[in-house]
Amino acid sequence: MMRCGFCGYDFEEKEGIQGCKNCPMSGGCKMIKCPKCNYENPSEPFWVKKVKGFFKEANK
Amino acid sequence: MTLLGKKQKCHAAQSVSFNGKRKVVLVGNPNVGKSVLFNVLTGAYVTVSNYPGTSVEVTRGVAIIEEEQFEVIDTPGMYSLMPITEEERVGREILLNECPDIVIHVIDARNLERMLAMTIQLIEAGLPVILVVNIMDEAERLGLGINIPLLGEKLGIPVIGAAMAKKRGVEEIRKSISGFNPKEIRQFNYNKKFEDDITEIALMLKGDYRLSRKAIALLLMQKDNEIAELIEEQEGAGYQAIDELVREKVFERRESLHMDISMQRREIVKGIIKDVFSAPERRRFTLSDKLSNWSVSPLTGIPLLLIVLYFGLYQFVGVFGAGTVVDLLEKKLIEGMFNPWITETVNNVVPWEIIQELIVGEYGIITMGVRYAVGIILPIVATFFLFFSMLEDSGYFPRLALLVDRVFKKIGLSGRAVIPMVLGFGCDTMATMVTRTLETVRERIIATLLLALAIPCSAQLGLILSLLSKSQGSFFVWAGCVLMLFLTVGFFAARVIPGDKTMFYMELPPMRMPQLSNVLTKTYTRMQWYFMEILPLFIFASVLLWLGKITHFFEKMVEWFNPVINAIGLPKETTVAFIFGFFRRDYGAAGLFDLQEKGLLDVRQITVAAVTLTLFVPCIAQFLIMKKERGLKTALMMGLFVSVIAFGSGYFLNKLLVTTGIL
Repeated sequence: MMRCGFCGYDFEEKEGIQGCKNCPMSGGCKMIKCPKCNYENPSEPFWVKKVKGFFKEANK
Repeated sequence: MTLLGKKQKCHAAQSVSFNGKRKVVLVGNPNVGKSVLFNVLTGAYVTVSNYPGTSVEVTRGVAIIEEEQFEVIDTPGMYSLMPITEEERVGREILLNECPDIVIHVIDARNLERMLAMTIQLIEAGLPVILVVNIMDEAERLGLGINIPLLGEKLGIPVIGAAMAKKRGVEEIRKSISGFNPKEIRQFNYNKKFEDDITEIALMLKGDYRLSRKAIALLLMQKDNEIAELIEEQEGAGYQAIDELVREKVFERRESLHMDISMQRREIVKGIIKDVFSAPERRRFTLSDKLSNWSVSPLTGIPLLLIVLYFGLYQFVGVFGAGTVVDLLEKKLIEGMFNPWITETVNNVVPWEIIQELIVGEYGIITMGVRYAVGIILPIVATFFLFFSMLEDSGYFPRLALLVDRVFKKIGLSGRAVIPMVLGFGCDTMATMVTRTLETVRERIIATLLLALAIPCSAQLGLILSLLSKSQGSFFVWAGCVLMLFLTVGFFAARVIPGDKTMFYMELPPMRMPQLSNVLTKTYTRMQWYFMEILPLFIFASVLLWLGKITHFFEKMVEWFNPVINAIGLPKETTVAFIFGFFRRDYGAAGLFDLQEKGLLDVRQITVAAVTLTLFVPCIAQFLIMKKERGLKTALMMGLFVSVIAFGSGYFLNKLLVTTGIL
């Protein structure tokens, strides 16, 4: 889950990249569009996700 | 879009849907935690699809509770059963056409009184409701008390207190779903006269409907066209008499019908929460509450905005980022140490002068392209995105949207247009694409034009602020010119371009202290994206400049553009910066920065150059997106208009500054 930086809406990352295939900037912008307000949110880098995942596992 | 169909055999007690699963529909205002509850109930296996005939997305999943499978549907946010937006219309369609076995109404505990009005509507409509009072943790932190069992007793439905973000209440919700057994529907009465009117209409309804007759009578009185069509279809010949009666009742209350309904529902809610809800005598206003209130009120919001812009943009990005950090990185490290070393090394290793020129010459890939990208642009976008991410994470942007809504209405936009405008400060190209999310074509055209004209991208803005940081007077002249043109062009565009005016409303997320990890992650991602985009382009620009130099093409271009550049009082060296400003706006600004460093521009010229370059034609990528979004004709007209305004403003500003001598 991620939270939109504009409207505060919580949504799944995959919900925010559904329209990317048709976009001329596809593959370049790394932004995730809020399904509610359309604000472009930066995606979490791969390595940050990995580090967070590691700590989550360790805390279990 | 399908119309609200007549009642099918879907509400026979504990019916099952066609796929054998009982259906659970989640409803509620936006931002109350419906989607979190949906994810908690369903896990990872969900499908998202557009609701038939609409562009509104609906998420469906399966929840397994005590070995029984339930189909769970997450609806778009809705405020009432009487729809205004397409999202609300879809929400209501789902409630009525999907035959829910359970409707979970999720509300925000902090706004209990306001949100219970919809719960009353749902119960009144005869729907099988479970109420989830979410965000209890925040409500408790504010000193608000809610007697959940008593609320359930008064409403006659299961009520669960929850804090979805902390998974509090999840088990109770699951138990409530699996053991749900709809009881007799509690009646909430309006005042006698109103009840009599509703009953009179309701008694005339003979068809079989999914909604209670009382709810239908109320919706008919509120002129709900979809309901009226359904009744006409169901009642046949009897419809005319119903329609006449409804018109008569509405006419009697023609001045205050909607207000009456809403005030009476409010009274009902007040009666319900009388012993249920308690708040401290004086509401505890936290610092974030105070900041939130200050930032949306014009009296305090505008000074606050100016303070944020002055310290955040001018001092932090302009003076610190583009001044101190660039000075250290570009001048001391790159120009002072790295460039002399690499130049000597390349000159020793590469014997051909022309190639030496390409790599480490005046416009060399390393000595200019990489220096611009790493030494100048990188520190500026880093400080800009740091400032931007802090504002974003604090929840300031939606408040800014509310603050500027009234001014934006004068220029044909609404507060919603703050999204592309704010994103434009990051990258105008991306922001131009985001204009497609504005409601009307008129708004999209005006926003595209204003982005092309008066919104500088991050690196360009940082560089311009740095150019202007040597003289505060020039900063205020630049800011005044750009703001004035933004508002004037918007004002006239709103009068020239036909189209509908739009409304803007949004639920404000809480204002909070920015979280360091969020801010750093967002800054890093944006910086990485920006840098990876500009580096190859800057190298390519260096190659073009090198080609232009060796073929003497740029000398000719400079000669062609010289009369225009002279007319705005700038030296001919700035021509190259403007030519490359079209290629990349930030590259053009970096060129001006270089010229200032070399002492080729005085304060007046810097101010004129900064205003002209800010207003200058959109860069090539932005132009291509403008063409894609608005069509070639509109994009060309906008490009031409923006060029005339940019150089026209530069010309008049130069004349004004020379005549008055204020700088």
